Amino acid sequence: MREKFGLKLGLGAIALVLGFISLSYAQEVTDLRGAVPPTEEVAPPPIYNEINDDKRRARNYPEQPPVIPHNIRDYPITLNANRCLTCHTREFTAESLAPMISITHFMDRDGQVLAGVTPRRFFCTQCHVTQADAPDLVESTFMPIEKIIQQEKQGGSGEQTP
Amino acid sequence: MAQLTRRQVLKAKAAAIAASVAGIPVAEAANGIIPGDEARLTWSKAPCRFCGTGCGVMVAVRDNRVVATHGDINAEVNRGLNCVKGYFLSKIMYGADRLTQPLLRMKDGKYAKDGEFAPVTWDRAFDEMAAQWKRVLKEKGPTAVGMFGSGQWTVWEGYAGLKLMKAGFRSNNLDPNARHCMASAAVGFMRTFGMDEPMGCYDDIEATDAFVLWGSNMAEMHPILWTRVADRRLSNPHVKVCVMSTFEHRSFDLADIPIVFTPQSDLAILNFIAHHIISTGRVNRAFVDQHANFKRGAVDIGYGLRPDNPLETAAKNATNANDSTPMTFDEFAAFVADYTLEKTAEMSGVSPERLTALAELYADPATKVVSFWTMGFNQHTRGVWCNNMIYNIHLLTGKIAEPGNSPFSLTGQPSACGTAREVGTFSHRLPADMVVTNPEHRKHAEEIWQIPEGTIPEKPGYHAVQQNRMLKDGKLNAYWVQVNNNMQAGPNMNQEGWPGYRNPDNFITVSDPYPTVTTLAADLILPTAMWVEKEGAYGNAERRTHFWHQLVSAPGDARSDLWQLMEFSKRFTTDEVWAPETLAAHPEFKGKTLFDVLFANGKVNKFPVSDIEKGYSNYESEYFGFYVQKGLFEEYASFGRGHGHDLAPFDTYHQVRGLRWPVVDGKETRWRYREGYDPYVAAGSGLQFYGNKDKKAIIFALPYEAPAESPDDEYDMWLSTGRVLEHWHSGSMTRRVPELNRAVPNALCFMHPDDAKKRNLRRGDEVRVISRRGEIRVRVETRGRNRPPIGLVFVPWFDEGRLINKVTLDATDPISKQTDFKKCAVKIEKVA
Amino acid sequence: MTALIKRAFALTLDIWFVLRKPSVHFSLGFLTIGGFVGGVMFWGAFNTALELTNTETFCISCHEMRDNVYEELKTTIHFTNRSGVRATCPDCHVPHKWTDKIARKMQASKEVWGKIFGTINTRDKFLEKRRELAGHEWARLKANDSLECRNCHNFEYMDFTKQNTRAAKAHSTYLASGEKTCIDCHKGIAHRLPNMEGVPGWDATSLSPDDEDASTRIRRVGEALRSMDGLTQAAAE
Repeated sequence: MREKFGLKLGLGAIALVLGFISLSYAQEVTDLRGAVPPTEEVAPPPIYNEINDDKRRARNYPEQPPVIPHNIRDYPITLNANRCLTCHTREFTAESLAPMISITHFMDRDGQVLAGVTPRRFFCTQCHVTQADAPDLVESTFMPIEKIIQQEKQGGSGEQTP
Repeated sequence: MAQLTRRQVLKAKAAAIAASVAGIPVAEAANGIIPGDEARLTWSKAPCRFCGTGCGVMVAVRDNRVVATHGDINAEVNRGLNCVKGYFLSKIMYGADRLTQPLLRMKDGKYAKDGEFAPVTWDRAFDEMAAQWKRVLKEKGPTAVGMFGSGQWTVWEGYAGLKLMKAGFRSNNLDPNARHCMASAAVGFMRTFGMDEPMGCYDDIEATDAFVLWGSNMAEMHPILWTRVADRRLSNPHVKVCVMSTFEHRSFDLADIPIVFTPQSDLAILNFIAHHIISTGRVNRAFVDQHANFKRGAVDIGYGLRPDNPLETAAKNATNANDSTPMTFDEFAAFVADYTLEKTAEMSGVSPERLTALAELYADPATKVVSFWTMGFNQHTRGVWCNNMIYNIHLLTGKIAEPGNSPFSLTGQPSACGTAREVGTFSHRLPADMVVTNPEHRKHAEEIWQIPEGTIPEKPGYHAVQQNRMLKDGKLNAYWVQVNNNMQAGPNMNQEGWPGYRNPDNFITVSDPYPTVTTLAADLILPTAMWVEKEGAYGNAERRTHFWHQLVSAPGDARSDLWQLMEFSKRFTTDEVWAPETLAAHPEFKGKTLFDVLFANGKVNKFPVSDIEKGYSNYESEYFGFYVQKGLFEEYASFGRGHGHDLAPFDTYHQVRGLRWPVVDGKETRWRYREGYDPYVAAGSGLQFYGNKDKKAIIFALPYEAPAESPDDEYDMWLSTGRVLEHWHSGSMTRRVPELNRAVPNALCFMHPDDAKKRNLRRGDEVRVISRRGEIRVRVETRGRNRPPIGLVFVPWFDEGRLINKVTLDATDPISKQTDFKKCAVKIEKVA
Repeated sequence: MTALIKRAFALTLDIWFVLRKPSVHFSLGFLTIGGFVGGVMFWGAFNTALELTNTETFCISCHEMRDNVYEELKTTIHFTNRSGVRATCPDCHVPHKWTDKIARKMQASKEVWGKIFGTINTRDKFLEKRRELAGHEWARLKANDSLECRNCHNFEYMDFTKQNTRAAKAHSTYLASGEKTCIDCHKGIAHRLPNMEGVPGWDATSLSPDDEDASTRIRRVGEALRSMDGLTQAAAE
């Protein structure tokens, strides 16, 4: 923190010299606008493309819904048709070689397994999302369980204290 | 900010070196199994941090860190499901830029409005803040201090804030961000039923034959309720779904009757339906005669703008917008007869066939119907009217307060109901639907709080939009913001919000876990504990109160809002904040701190720390020396018990997945006002709207009136703002989860392809969205999940980089004071 | 009905008797040359008219087309995409071969009939008819092996290394073997879909009877994939 603070003060001085801030803007903290004060407008980033490499991503924990590693442009999920299920439902996976939707997706509200996909899971994109090739705004310090167990083995703890 | 704390980095480095030296593999077990106790995670229940649906989640903790979350199969609301935000709850607390110490604007070691943020201790932070508040109180009195809270406050945080402001500082300048969210719904309930919050519950979904969405994109905003609607619709082909909006969105994917209407014409459609019911002879006369009165509401009520705005000076009833006079059924029938099918089709741009199909869902006595609405109705300059008018339809047909027949106002925030409305953290309210303007209500509150009569001021304070205006005008000078990001969320940021916060006369404190636009507009930033870093309670849209324990500790010096409120109260004595005559009459209060008076009052500090459930920490209680949350809750609950707002005993809520109030004799209430479900309804009466003295609801005659601002030759497009599924509100939590950020990285300007072509624009082009108040730069989207009609653009507001509220208009409903974020006029210009 | 046919037949015969008589006023040469010129003129006009009706402008001069199918097309990849090559209505819906074209035009006259008599003159009526109308197009494309798709998307020239892995797999197996044609998998890519109940590939309970069993399919697809391992690797990179 302290080392960073000095560096940011330096950056702040440069910003002041540039003189694009009427209010002397915080150096210790920045929000997701970065160095752009709320009263200023700058060019927005481009529309990022969806990642379309079909490579599976490891989940942060087993319950996390897997992200969609492909483009879903124009894929209907409507009262009439569900494009996702044409590959991911059990009956079509042999042909499509796509991962089958999980067993939980066949259960009704009471946990009973149905003959087909449960209607409550019909709208896939409520849980499963594509990933754009956009940069992270802020790094995540989330630690998956295996990292924590590694730390335990080293005699540390995962506790987040400064 | 540091991504990892220094200690963590050093520790991680040491571990890595040790591992490489020792040559041990990453996971010890060669067979892939983590043996025995090493595999154990500690699971506890909690409600989701995000929307008003109130899903239950299970949270896994290991070494004081959340490592996993999933939908709670035992939670009635969601039965094991979460939306994508809910599934990523595990990661919301772990953005690398968490605030871990107070930051004060300083110059030469002293506070300075134009200084730069520097870390300070809590003592230094509160010393400065208290000095500023005392200065303001001394110079201008209680009307110059204020607080902006939240529907994301826990119940006891809201309650502590309410007590501190209204009883402690004697200021009614307390309002929640819920004002932006469901004030129109709350006032609508009060006007029609004399009592806030829905009569039905989510069980209506599984019991109904038809759903009508009025300005609600449930598929994105209430995804788990949408799974229940989808389940009902897809499992039962006879069920119909009608989706109404000013543009096509994801909820239209399930629509049997899709309706895109001209902005503001929902008022005409509502009256047309009433007319259709009456003209086709389908009024439930027995029900109406027994359970309803008719009233004519005041018209020409203005737009809640500043009083000198020409629209306000021209309005006849801007100051008495809430007035009404009795009328008869026949007069009501004649009133709505103006709204014929042809006229309504013309006004709304909706085909007569679809309007009739919609009206029939209500008119047909054999069809049970649930109406859902959210911001399309509530964020509306006639939002209270919309709420009243939907009740009109349900009351005319008697389709109300029974399974499957339900007008159901959905809420946006996790505790908009539980905290903002039930606790009453509004500028005019007190707990349990009481108001400051009623002397009996004030007296009752003062009795429960054991404070001198006359402490609570009778004049309502500044509401949300008014607070920003008063900050700008220099009439509100000491201001505290908790659990919201109003610089990004409030309307007309350029002309009101920003000048208000940066007014040199004002000292602004903002409490938040993360740096946001609002924190950076402040003078003092307080680092805040969030979600399961504290013990909490939320109340969802179906009156369900749901508790959770503290499961991990907050990082660094971050402290909960509750701790902040209580600790700050220690810095004021009654002599500094109460009138000398009050203290002369009640010398026992002299010299006491507000903490003593409000929190160490024998009630709030009644329960020992040992009452805390074994295995759970509780920072606030350990710090203050009593079970803070339990004491606050039990005192608060005494307001509603026996008055139709009964809450269960504190400890019960830690065992169950929430209960729907009124909870009488340990039993929750699913349908209020209906005999057999609601213990407050007299036996043999069948149904009683007991919020009103005569136990009847009111059907209001209200007309169509034009919006505050409509497109013209220069500003030729409608602008609607809103949310997206993947981000919660202003994105301060969800945009720090990499997967959610990558799902929807930036706000875009959704536009019809023909509108784009007309302006020589294509997808991805940079444009300025310009109104009379401000402009933003954003990229054009001509396809994707939202499909606006020609003449309307939609820009979501989650993106800190594209502050669309620079553009919006701060016109409000004159009765509810809720902003209309769905309608203003803009022009779109290409950035060359 | 039969009476009507009889009368039409009688009339046709009458006209034929007149036509088969030799000319008494014009020379054979005039008739030959004049007939030829007239024929060319008629043919030219016919084809010009045909071409005129073969443009998107003509198609969307009817509001039924403009407000329904064309409106939906605008946001799809067949309208706007990376290279700017876009499909107009006739590209997909009118065969390029003359005989097929005429056949399709005759079918299209039914849709014009629909316009004149208002069977699809509102959005809701159109939606009601959509399954039937889409069904015609699916059947036609299935029968002609997706001819109009292939006018642009020629299997011969597909570069699988430029397709994503899933697409490369599907095209190099099912499409290559002729077992599937484009429309089998790519329904609803340019317009919204009707209710897909009972449509093979969309409704699992309606797999067509000639489908091979799952184990055979897995084995065969596995073999095909192994043979193209290098290819998919390249595609992934």
